[in-house]
Amino acid sequence: MTAGAIPISGRAWAAALLWGLTARFAVLMLVVLVIFILPRLLPGDPLGVMLSSDYTQNLSEAGLAELRARMGLAGGWAEQFGAWLSDLLRGDLGYSATHARPVATLIAESLPWTLLLILGAMPVYLVLAALAGIGAGRAAGGGFDRGLTGFVTVLASIPPFVTAILLMLGLAILWPVFPAGGALPMLPSDQLMIRTGQIARHVILPVTALALHEFARFYYLARGEAVVLAHRPFVMNAVARGLPPRRLLTEYYGRNILPIFIARLSDSVSGLVSAVVIIEIVFSYPGIGGLIYGAILDRDYTLLQGTTIAVAAGLLALNWLIDAAGTALAGRG
Amino acid sequence: MRVLFGLAAGLLLLLAAQPLMPAYRSSRDVLAPPGRGHLLGTNDIGQDVLTGLLHATPNTVLMALAAAAVATAAALIVAGVAAAASATIRNMILRLVDALQVVPSILILLFIGTLMQPGLTGLAVLLGLTSWHEDVRVALAMLRRELQRENVRFARHMGASRTYCLRRHVLPAIRPALAALYLQNIRQVTLRAAGLAFLGLTDPRLLTWGGMMQDAMEHLYTPAWLWLLLPPAFALTAFLLIMLLLIENDPAGARA
Repeated sequence: MTAGAIPISGRAWAAALLWGLTARFAVLMLVVLVIFILPRLLPGDPLGVMLSSDYTQNLSEAGLAELRARMGLAGGWAEQFGAWLSDLLRGDLGYSATHARPVATLIAESLPWTLLLILGAMPVYLVLAALAGIGAGRAAGGGFDRGLTGFVTVLASIPPFVTAILLMLGLAILWPVFPAGGALPMLPSDQLMIRTGQIARHVILPVTALALHEFARFYYLARGEAVVLAHRPFVMNAVARGLPPRRLLTEYYGRNILPIFIARLSDSVSGLVSAVVIIEIVFSYPGIGGLIYGAILDRDYTLLQGTTIAVAAGLLALNWLIDAAGTALAGRG
Repeated sequence: MRVLFGLAAGLLLLLAAQPLMPAYRSSRDVLAPPGRGHLLGTNDIGQDVLTGLLHATPNTVLMALAAAAVATAAALIVAGVAAAASATIRNMILRLVDALQVVPSILILLFIGTLMQPGLTGLAVLLGLTSWHEDVRVALAMLRRELQRENVRFARHMGASRTYCLRRHVLPAIRPALAALYLQNIRQVTLRAAGLAFLGLTDPRLLTWGGMMQDAMEHLYTPAWLWLLLPPAFALTAFLLIMLLLIENDPAGARA
């Protein structure tokens, strides 16, 4: 619509989008290649690994050959790659032998739990980091600032899995107010209200761990921006006029920090996913991270490959969409 | 930077002195709490935790220093290629690097770790090669800024070769910023390596802080977590904190 009115910028926008898509596709191909080639470079093959465990034993030669063909390990590399790629393109991520279900179904079942953790933590750490950062930044060097910044510096140095373990230890084992793992009790209630409550109780600790991990990044961002804003004339003028502190916070600081937060949010997705994977593992949460860890423990390569590619593709697509939206918004002014 | 050289030298010394240190061997004192015989207690097969920490220190830290060196060098090389290339190619490289950043490196690390359980060298190379892309943009900005300065232009005009300019003008100018990048890489790499070891995806013979924490996870429901989990967790956090303070107090500025 607006692109039609300004043809040059519209075309540049389309070109940038196309370039971005090509680059992301190239990276996805790189991931696919790594995941295809590496297992084949190593001694033994996924089938051998599977057979050495106790899932399948005493198979005849014919049975072995059939299994090999079903796992896409028959024929030369080129042939295998072609078959695998055409399956991928059709959206077929393979079949998990340990779960006895298609990989795509397993991912679809785990994804909501991971999204629940991320979307549960995101507002918490964004709002808290903004409030704390503004509070510290507008009186930089004061007692509050020094205390809080010191605390956040230490917090930023604790690896996410350590935070998760300590939370679990403190609030689920030593003082058991929250469940130590999983997303639902062993026998979940079938009443909607009680079930929601159970889910909420299980989600609190992983969400806290995730929020604590991401808090530091946005705290530094908000603080740095608030330090600058505090000396800008329009803010000093507003303070001198005696503006209510709440309005100062939302309309003056908040509004200026929001766009920076949004820009950083799309950069931080990759770190967020890394943290959520490891936190899910600590809390045995049934999300994507839990799925990946299960695949690692079972040496279920089909599931591991499928999940890795699906997550990478999903993130690349999401990032492209955010990028496109950002460019469109910037183009509008 | 000098701090780091000191650290590396000290660690190499520690590594060389490892035969002199008490061996990390199992004993009958199983799960002994901290006390006179064992300052930090023992684990479930009677190994002394303090000895374990000492043995794990050079493994953990030297691996991080090496992996960060690989990552910083790779970033610098790619940035150098991009700086020398035409605008189209530079744009292509930058777009690829941006897209690479979208894929969480932990995905690839988990996959490779499951396949091969890397040891010390493998881990350094693997982590180096999965973290370089985060620095290319910064390194390129530094390089281009220095390449456009008048001292380089004069030198080029007077017939100095590219390598001479690089060695005598560009590298000395970007060294402080490179050191800050290197420190940041050490932090990243340490976090990732600890995560991998914690999940049991490194060589089981390689003793690291992350690996010690993994062993402690079985004892969360007994009092033994106190001396099995906390010491390696504390060592890891302290190391990361020291690196962060080094970055923040670097006058050359991490703001390269």
